[in-house]
Amino acid sequence: MAINLIASLVLVMRNFFLLIFYPYKTMRKISLEKDYYQLLTIFGLVFLYFKFIYFLRNNSYPATLIYILFIFNFLLTTCFFYFLSKVFEKKLNWKSFIFTFSYSLFPTLIWFLSTSILYVFLPPPRTFSLLGKGFSIFFVAYSLSLLIWKFILFYLAIRFSSKQNFFRIIYMIILYLTWFIPYSVILYQFKLFRIPFI
Amino acid sequence: MKTINIRLKKKLNEVFFIESNDLGNDYLTIYFKKITAYFKVIPFAYVIPFAFLISIIMYFLLGRLLIRLVTILQYGY
Repeated sequence: MAINLIASLVLVMRNFFLLIFYPYKTMRKISLEKDYYQLLTIFGLVFLYFKFIYFLRNNSYPATLIYILFIFNFLLTTCFFYFLSKVFEKKLNWKSFIFTFSYSLFPTLIWFLSTSILYVFLPPPRTFSLLGKGFSIFFVAYSLSLLIWKFILFYLAIRFSSKQNFFRIIYMIILYLTWFIPYSVILYQFKLFRIPFI
Repeated sequence: MKTINIRLKKKLNEVFFIESNDLGNDYLTIYFKKITAYFKVIPFAYVIPFAFLISIIMYFLLGRLLIRLVTILQYGY
């Protein structure tokens, strides 16, 4: 068990760097992945992140509750794309969706983790001084880069799992956003997530 | 020779397990493939300069609003 987990951690790290340099090829390989320990590693890292921010937030819900909600959101997302893709293609595997969507969590995890660390060292609000403006430009560029990377990985995850063409994937994403944005607002109202972790 | 054949077959199966994207128009498909090629290998080489350019443009367009946006984002973790 321990050896399997260590081996999976190495594989997850390897895939993480490959997703930076070769997202297309790597995501294609991930869609054929069968090693469930890799999922355990990724979801373990996410759990550690939720534990970490629990100590930063005031009047926060327990980390485990937020984590369970994240798992629910994740499963809801994968099921949505899986069943929607099933309409067009019968031979699909839900496992492929789980693997690719898990790996597409990396940009999210990096952004949330770096933002929470920055919150400690450079707490908001940002000032209108030269340094404040410089940092703001840098932070927006950094966030935008990760957002684009996230979109690339998210698109590739759907592409290799659902085997659909570009237009169908875009339609599916639009359909997904039509319910996910109001759903995120509800989560925000209940102070569960400020920005949805997906 | 047999090993090479098996490896080649495995690679071909991996590459061709999904159909190539067809946007319905030849020109559109060609340009789509040309553009997406940049995102397939080291996308950050294009993404980072693009993101900096966009954020500088946003700063000139939005001014102080951008700094407020960053403050909101920093609370968003």
